[in-house]
Amino acid sequence: MSLPQPECHVINLQSRAELASAGFNPALKRIPQVDAVSIPLQPRPDFVPSWKPRRIPIKCIGLTLPEGLAFQPTKSEETLSDGVVLKRIDPPKKKQDNDEKPQRTRIKPPKNALSLQDRLFYLLQPPLETWLAGQELIMPFEPFGYQYEGIAWMFARHSALLADEMGLGKTMQTITGIRLLLRSGQINRILLICPKPLIPNWQREFRTWAEELPIVTIEGSGARRRMLWTMPGVPILITNYESMTRDLAEFSEEEQPKFDLLILDEAQRIKNRDSRTAEVARGINRRRSWALTGTPIENRPEELASLFEFLEVIPPRATPDLRQLSALAKEHILRRTKDLVMKDMPPRIDRDAELVLTDAQQYAYTVAEKEGIIQLNELGDSISVQHVFELVMRLKQITNYDPLTNESAKLERLVADMEEIAASGGKAILFSQWTKPLNWLAERLQQFNPLIYHGGVPTKHREPILAKFKEDPDAHIILMSYGTGAVGLNLQFAHYVFLFDRWWNPAIEDQAINRAHRIGVTAPVIVTRFICKDTIEERIDRVLREKREIAEAILGGGDNENVSLGLNASEIFGLFDLKKRTKKGTSESIGPVRPEAA
Amino acid sequence: MSNSGHSEQLRLGFLAAVEVEGRGYVGGLLVTNQNGRPLEFQCTTPVKPDRTQEILYGKMLRPWLLGELIGQTLLQRVSIKPDMILTSDPDILELRNHIDIPVACTLDSTSSRSGQLDIEATAQMGGRKLRFHSTHQDDSKFVTRQSHLLPGQADLEEPLERVQEALNETIRTVMAR
Repeated sequence: MSLPQPECHVINLQSRAELASAGFNPALKRIPQVDAVSIPLQPRPDFVPSWKPRRIPIKCIGLTLPEGLAFQPTKSEETLSDGVVLKRIDPPKKKQDNDEKPQRTRIKPPKNALSLQDRLFYLLQPPLETWLAGQELIMPFEPFGYQYEGIAWMFARHSALLADEMGLGKTMQTITGIRLLLRSGQINRILLICPKPLIPNWQREFRTWAEELPIVTIEGSGARRRMLWTMPGVPILITNYESMTRDLAEFSEEEQPKFDLLILDEAQRIKNRDSRTAEVARGINRRRSWALTGTPIENRPEELASLFEFLEVIPPRATPDLRQLSALAKEHILRRTKDLVMKDMPPRIDRDAELVLTDAQQYAYTVAEKEGIIQLNELGDSISVQHVFELVMRLKQITNYDPLTNESAKLERLVADMEEIAASGGKAILFSQWTKPLNWLAERLQQFNPLIYHGGVPTKHREPILAKFKEDPDAHIILMSYGTGAVGLNLQFAHYVFLFDRWWNPAIEDQAINRAHRIGVTAPVIVTRFICKDTIEERIDRVLREKREIAEAILGGGDNENVSLGLNASEIFGLFDLKKRTKKGTSESIGPVRPEAA
Repeated sequence: MSNSGHSEQLRLGFLAAVEVEGRGYVGGLLVTNQNGRPLEFQCTTPVKPDRTQEILYGKMLRPWLLGELIGQTLLQRVSIKPDMILTSDPDILELRNHIDIPVACTLDSTSSRSGQLDIEATAQMGGRKLRFHSTHQDDSKFVTRQSHLLPGQADLEEPLERVQEALNETIRTVMAR
C-alpha cells in the first residue's frame, strides 16, 4: 500500500489595521496632568491580637497534723535498771527475694473514718518500721511483722478488740500503739484497767517498751486514789477492776474523769453485760475503747455482745445474731494464733500422761464414787448441779492424792519427770485447781526448791517469787493455781508445764500453758496433762475435747485450741449415770435435759 | 542525729503531682520533720491548662504547671515552711527558679525521665543521691551540709509515695461528691 505524498500551502497571516477618522484621536496623544496628594501613614494597626500568661486560680485543701507529745531526745543504747538493754533497731530491711523495697507496714484508714481529713491523717503517717526504727522511738527489740500489723490496726481504730492468742505480744502491741498515738497528738490521757495481779506486769512492760512514758498506778488510801484519778498532766493511769468499780462510784456525774483512750486488759472480765464491772466500764467517759483478751469467748458467743457494747459498736442491750457478730468481728476484732504467725516459734508439745491410780487411791476412789452416786440417786428430783459438782470435786481430789495414805500416782510421775528436768537445769510450772494440793506438793518436792504462787500469796510477795524463779538456778519448779497464775505472766524461760489436775475450761488451761509458750521461748515447751485412767478425769477430758469447735464459726479459722466452752449443768450430770427410781420399779435419768445437738 | 536532739531541725517538703484524666493535674505538698513524721499537708484541686496555654508553653507546659504554678501555690499555702523541697519529678525542679529554698530531685540518673533536664551536681542525703536544677547547682552544698540531720538510711522516696496515695484518696473523694 502506498502512502499519499504531503503537500505544502502558504497562508498569508499579515492583516492591515487602519484608523478610522473619529475626531478624538488627538486627545489620546495629550500628556496627562499629575498632582501629588499627601496621605499620613497609620502609626499602628487597628487590631493586634494579644495574650498574657493568665494565672489559673488554684484551690487548696489543707491538713495540719497535731503536734503530739514532746519526748525526751533519743539516746544511744543504754541499760535499764532491771538489766534490759535498749537498742536502736535497724531501719526497715530489704526483703531477701530481690525485692527492691523494704517491708513497710502502713496505717490504713478505718472504714468508719468518713471525713477526708481523717483519712488523710492515717495515710500520711510513715510506715511503722520507719517510725519505730530508732529514729525517734527506741524499741528494745524489733517487733515481728504481725506485731507491726497489729499496732497499725489498733492505731487507726477507736473501737478495737485485740484478741491475739496468749503469748503473741498483746501487751507490747498495746503499749506501742499508745506510744504512737501520744506521739502523733491523738491522745493525751489514757486509762488502763487490768486484773490486780497483772499491774506489776504492765508496769514492767511499760518500762521495757516505753520507758519515756510516765505511768501512775492508782493505789493507796481513798483520798489518795481520788487525787490520782483527777491529777492533771499524767498521760497513763493504771488501775484494777475492783478499784475502777469502787472509786468511780464516788465521783458525781460532773466530776467523772475523762479519758482519750480506755483499755480493758483481760476484757473477758466484762463478759457478763449485767455485771457491775461491765456497767461501770461502759460508763467511763472516753473517746476510744480498746479491749484485750486472748479468749474473747470463754463460754457463750453472747459474751462477745457485751464486749461490743463496751466498744460502742452496737447499741445498748442489742442482741446481735451469729451473722451480725461475725460481721462486727471482721471490722473490730483482730485475732492471730501462733500457728498462723509464729511459724518459726519452737512448738508446744502436748502429752497426756495416763496414770493408773495407786491401790490406796483406787480403793478410796471406788468407795467415794459408789457412796456418792447412791447419795445422789437418793436425792431424786431434789438433786442440783451443786450436789453433782461436789462429788466431782471429791473424786478429782482423790485422783490427786489419797488423803489417808498420801499415796499419789501423779506425784510419783511428777518426781520422776522433775528429776530429769532438774538434772538438765530446766524449770517447770505446775498448775492445780486448788491451793491445798499445791501446799501438799511443796512439802514433797523439796529437792527441787519449789516456789508457791497462788491467791493466798500477798500481792507484794508475788513479784519477788517470780524473780526468784527466774534467777535462782536451783529453783526448778513453781506451783501455781490456775486462778492466779494463768494470766498475764511471762515465764517463757520455763520449758515444762504440768497440769496436775484439769480445769473445767480448756481456754483457761491454754492461758496457763501460754505463760511458758510465748514469744521469747527458745525451746519447745512440753505440756504434760495428768489424767488418771478410768476416773472422772478421763470423762471430763472426753467432754471437753468434744466441745472445742463452736466459737470458730465466729472468730474464723486457725483457732485450733483456744476457744472452747466449759461444761454446762447437763454435761456435769452426764458425767455420772444418775437414775432415780420410779413408782413402776423402773429408773429414769435425773438432772437437766441435755440440749439438742445443733 | 545530733546530741542536742530537738535543737537542730530540718523540715522537708515532699512535692508530687498526679494527672487526672481530662481534669488536669493535682499537686500535693507534705511537710515532715527530718524523721518523716508528717507536720502539714496541702493539696490542690485539679488544675487544667487551656488550649492556648498548651500551644504557647509547648515543652515548658509541665514545668510551668507543676513547678511554677502548683508548687509555688502550695509552698505559699503551707504554714510550716520547709527548708528544702524534694520531688521525684524533674519537671518540678522548675519551681527552684521561683523560690529561695533548694529543690532536689530523687530521680535516679538511669531513669528515662532524668534526661529532660541538664542535671549535673548531686548530693547524698539519706539513702538517696539527689540532683538539682542546672541553674542552681549550688543547692547541693546546702544539702550536703544538712545531710547529717537525716538518719543514714532514710528513704526519701517513701514520703513521696505517701503524697501520691493522699492525692489519689483526695481525687476519689472529690470525684465521688
